[in-house]
Amino acid sequence: MNDKLQTFRLAWHVVVRNWLVYRKDFLANISPTLADPALIMLSLGLGLSPFIGEIDGLSYAEFLAPGMIATTALFTAFFESSYGFFVRMTFESVFKAMLTTPIGVREVLLGEFMWVFVRTALMAFGVSLVLLALGLMPNPWAILICPIIGGFLSLPCSAIGLLAASWVRNINQFQTVYSFLIAPIYYLSGVFFPLPEKSVLSVIIQFSPFYHGVRLIQFTVWGKSTIAEILWHATALAGFTLILGFLAFHRMGRKLTT
Amino acid sequence: MTSTPVILARGVAKRFGTFDALTSLDLEVHSGQCVGLLGPNGAGKSTFIGCLYGVVLRTGGTLNIFGLDPAKNAREIKGRIGVVPQENALDEGLTVLENMRIYARFGGIPKARADARIDRLLDHMSLEAKRDATIKTLSGGMKRRLTFVRALLADPELLILDEPTTGLDPSVRHLLWEKVTELRNEGKTILVTTHYMHEAEVLCDRIFILDQGRVVGVGAPRELIEREAPGFVGIFPRDSEALLQPHLQPTWELFHQAHQCCIRAPRFDDLLDLQRLSGLTALQLRPTNLEDVYLKLTGSELKDHE
Repeated sequence: MNDKLQTFRLAWHVVVRNWLVYRKDFLANISPTLADPALIMLSLGLGLSPFIGEIDGLSYAEFLAPGMIATTALFTAFFESSYGFFVRMTFESVFKAMLTTPIGVREVLLGEFMWVFVRTALMAFGVSLVLLALGLMPNPWAILICPIIGGFLSLPCSAIGLLAASWVRNINQFQTVYSFLIAPIYYLSGVFFPLPEKSVLSVIIQFSPFYHGVRLIQFTVWGKSTIAEILWHATALAGFTLILGFLAFHRMGRKLTT
Repeated sequence: MTSTPVILARGVAKRFGTFDALTSLDLEVHSGQCVGLLGPNGAGKSTFIGCLYGVVLRTGGTLNIFGLDPAKNAREIKGRIGVVPQENALDEGLTVLENMRIYARFGGIPKARADARIDRLLDHMSLEAKRDATIKTLSGGMKRRLTFVRALLADPELLILDEPTTGLDPSVRHLLWEKVTELRNEGKTILVTTHYMHEAEVLCDRIFILDQGRVVGVGAPRELIEREAPGFVGIFPRDSEALLQPHLQPTWELFHQAHQCCIRAPRFDDLLDLQRLSGLTALQLRPTNLEDVYLKLTGSELKDHE
């Protein structure tokens, strides 16, 4: 069989394996992913909305909604590829056994990205339904498009997780990565407030892949944007995916083989 | 044997930074053989095993499995081998059947054939009653047997067992020895690493003793014993050295093991004479075994050899 096709087939088996393990604790696994955005929407969105004026013609709840889908992508991908991957790699020795089969390091890592993509897309779909129920999805098509953007957004976030997993010496060090990298990205990428134009922050944040995903999902949900904006953010997201993905493959590849 | 060896290693080296895990390893395993890899911790056994299926990339020498280079053709090689790694690495939350199905898929076995094969192997390892049990609920011995099932799913030509019985109770160990012997009789080629000399003696046609990344002794178990440490060993109490000393022949060997004074002599009668002349009674008189060879070749415990 064609070599590349075989690689995909094997990587898909890794996805299936992860799904089977994930499924066992399904409720525990999906609870935070769905509960967190729902709670934020209730407290900040619906709770604060009456006290805040309109932002570009949107209520605060409407402004906040798309960010919840992006946030789901960030957290699902980062935690799965940092803590999740680290546990599989060290405590569970999953790869030690897996790598004795025709599956190689390339398939393990490709499988990881594919798994994160699928899982994130499903979670983003779930969050989209919650938002629809709250009346915050004016364009029903967005329910189908947002999970796909979420899936693509999960790739650079997963790469960051894998890079962290290749760096840390013990599992507690992920906390540092979270505090100094993931949390700032989360709070400052335009999910909670519109970034002031021509500010230092609005320039710096261009380096966050998460920001570009947030914008793309906001465009989709709000239904307003220009082609130029979409192209810019999509290109930036693809660029970060390639760069971070390459680094993650390289670093983790060296970690899994010696 | 004239056919191409299943494993052929010539001058295989692996350097981690400034540390040489393997210096220059020569080894061959022929079809149908059961070959043992013995050596102290850090001798390079696991590093070599890793080289065989491409998770450790060698830094020197040539290595061929089925005539293929694992640095280039790892996937093809891995499709033809079965490995029992040191750690079982089973998915604890899944059932026995689910675990095996996942690995059957990895091995590219069609589902219908996989299920039949899983059932047959579970039966063979006396695990058929555990088919739907969660891994968490299995004993250590059961998990190890299941890891054997996993390694055998794709009906491999070469079976690699990395410390297969470490930490298991004697009954499980004997059961696994039986199974390995059956597999050998079926014509499978087997490479096994172990710390247990007795295990190597029971299972292996041929043994490679490793120390500090190189082979220090090769041969069939009996052959190694005859060549490296023939004769008999008398074990005397530690404080008996002075009393024994005057009666020792120059060709005999005196060494210490676990605070006891050991004498190796060519004939059993030599030791009986020694007892009579010294007025001491040995704690044990026995033929030499693979452990004596191992300790002699790997240097451990022989540093105070006079």
